[in-house]
Amino acid sequence: MTKEYTLHIAHLYGDLMNTYGDLGNILVLKYYGKKMGINVESQVVSLDEDFKSDDYDIAVFGGGQDFEQSIVSKDFQTKKDEIKKFIDSDGCLLAICGGYQLLGKYYIDAEGNKIPGIGVLDHYTEQQHDNRFIGDIKIKNKETGEVYHGFENHQGVTYTGNGERPLGDVEQGYGNNGTDQAEGAIFKNVYCTYFHGPILARNNIIAKHILIKALKRRYPNDDFSAQEKIDVSESY
Amino acid sequence: MSIRSEFATFAGKSSYWFLHTFMNGGSSLPGKITTAIDPAILKHLGQNYDIIVVTGTNGKTLTTALTVQVLKQKYPNVVTNPSGSNMEQGLVTTFLKAKNPKTNRPLAVLEVDEANVIKLTKYVKPIAFVFTNIFRDQMDRYGEIYTTYNKIIDGVKLAPEATIIANGDAPIFNSVDLPNPKIYYGFKNHDDKDNFKAEPNTDGVLCPVCQNILHYHYISYANLGNYFCEHCGFKRPELTHELTKLGALTPNSSDFTVDGQDLSIGIGGIYNIYNALAAYSVGRFLDVDPKDIAKAFTANERVFGRQELIDIDGKETTLVLVKNPVGLNQVIDTISKEKDDFSLICLLNANYADGIDTSWIWDGEFERFTKMPIKKFITGGERYKDITFRFKVAGVDENIHEVQPNLEKVVEEIPTLPTQKVYILATYTAMLQLRKDFAEKGYIKGGME
Repeated sequence: MTKEYTLHIAHLYGDLMNTYGDLGNILVLKYYGKKMGINVESQVVSLDEDFKSDDYDIAVFGGGQDFEQSIVSKDFQTKKDEIKKFIDSDGCLLAICGGYQLLGKYYIDAEGNKIPGIGVLDHYTEQQHDNRFIGDIKIKNKETGEVYHGFENHQGVTYTGNGERPLGDVEQGYGNNGTDQAEGAIFKNVYCTYFHGPILARNNIIAKHILIKALKRRYPNDDFSAQEKIDVSESY
Repeated sequence: MSIRSEFATFAGKSSYWFLHTFMNGGSSLPGKITTAIDPAILKHLGQNYDIIVVTGTNGKTLTTALTVQVLKQKYPNVVTNPSGSNMEQGLVTTFLKAKNPKTNRPLAVLEVDEANVIKLTKYVKPIAFVFTNIFRDQMDRYGEIYTTYNKIIDGVKLAPEATIIANGDAPIFNSVDLPNPKIYYGFKNHDDKDNFKAEPNTDGVLCPVCQNILHYHYISYANLGNYFCEHCGFKRPELTHELTKLGALTPNSSDFTVDGQDLSIGIGGIYNIYNALAAYSVGRFLDVDPKDIAKAFTANERVFGRQELIDIDGKETTLVLVKNPVGLNQVIDTISKEKDDFSLICLLNANYADGIDTSWIWDGEFERFTKMPIKKFITGGERYKDITFRFKVAGVDENIHEVQPNLEKVVEEIPTLPTQKVYILATYTAMLQLRKDFAEKGYIKGGME
């Protein structure tokens, strides 16, 4: 690992969508990036600021409070084309809770208002009445066999659509909607989830997947077998 | 007085007497009994008092205690509730316990849980509300900061003549137009030249009028400071009581100047200075002389109980409760004022009283510890894996970082630590367990309080 690699993270609305320690995901990406010889830089992209697809390798989009999310929903529409371009060109995107909901068609907030997403993914989010899914959750990804641990805390119930596979099948907890046993969504290199904890702090293997994918996309001609050998088994 | 209230009061007082005399306790049960007989009992019990309600996320307990100290300089009778008894039944018990007042209208300074303000104002009209701050607490309780503030406001609307004494540096306290008279306190130890935004991981930075991101001339901590909106002109209100100077600050003391009066408290932390500023403002509201307020602040060190110094076989051990990110970051900031070498122990539990989600530790600025003179780190508690990984990611040197899930072993290790000073950060139930062990080993007397 002699060559110095750099990856750029866009922290989408990091000043508004920052509940439940989701910032930790960026800290963990930087931590493992360092171990892999990658210089990971992150920048907040917020209201009235341009998100340029080509400038970033990874985007992280956390959850927020209802008020902040309703403001973000309006601004996010102006970034829709570039987000779509980013996803179509295999950019890595980690979207949590409200971020997950806003990538889809819409969500219903606690007051019953229908808040539009940007619809680049096919899911939508309804609301449960007088109930929240709160607690520890454990899921298993069918394709990799990996087991993920997290903490869920959401009123919205999400139903995935075309082209979306679940991040995992629920083994303990509620997941997207408490009925179809699915938690989160994967679409190309987009990872959507309700997991806090934060997700990458509890499940370092996902941080590694994201970093490796982003490296291969940014540096398509390089060999990353050394990076792929990095041990990430140290938490949870 | 109705016969029902009379009977309810009698039943409540007798049960308090019984519990207090024979059971060595009695904090909320008398209130429960009384409220069951007469749900409107607060009206009867509270009607002869001039009540000051202290509410908000952080700092209620110390602000209440300091306010009582201050008011006692001028008023002989001040009733108050013990920390933790801040829900309806605890308030009822507080009045039941109060001795028959000597003066006509004694004062009652009550720490009231945010959602319980309305349960009080339904029956009695306070003369003042003190708002400390609204931060994200354990979100599994009330949810978002705006929801929490609305709960308070619902209660305040029933008492439109009460004076609001609010933290002027908190934008949320300027977001709803209320008819009440207002007094704002805040920091004015800066000029207005700077113009910047809060750190990305800060809550509550949207302008309540036009929903753009707020700018600041000055930030004291979190989203508190001299805020303004570049888009619509929304800005911090005129301050009635201004902190004009911060003097010497250590983990155990703070010197500062308010309205030209030098003040000093025996506790560190900017957040505690705000608590003192609130108590000062209430004192001035009720005509206590600034010099007497200064005297009150230094009169009784015991009010600063939450951050206590314990002698563990010669080690000066400071035990601090941590429960949410803003509080944690203030604790980290306070410890950063320590000049001597020290050891740091961090104990994380995730039981209901701690908050069952540990995600909030990732909002804590643990990275700052790597720049302090810390010779040894220990992480532990039931959720030691989470806190240990947080320390690793923060960049704590592995050679001086020990993981010790067993709490008793942590206590046994304290006398062997390489430094004279030891700081322990613990969540609520970890602190209870620790104090139990300290008591068994004879380092402290009794339990939590």
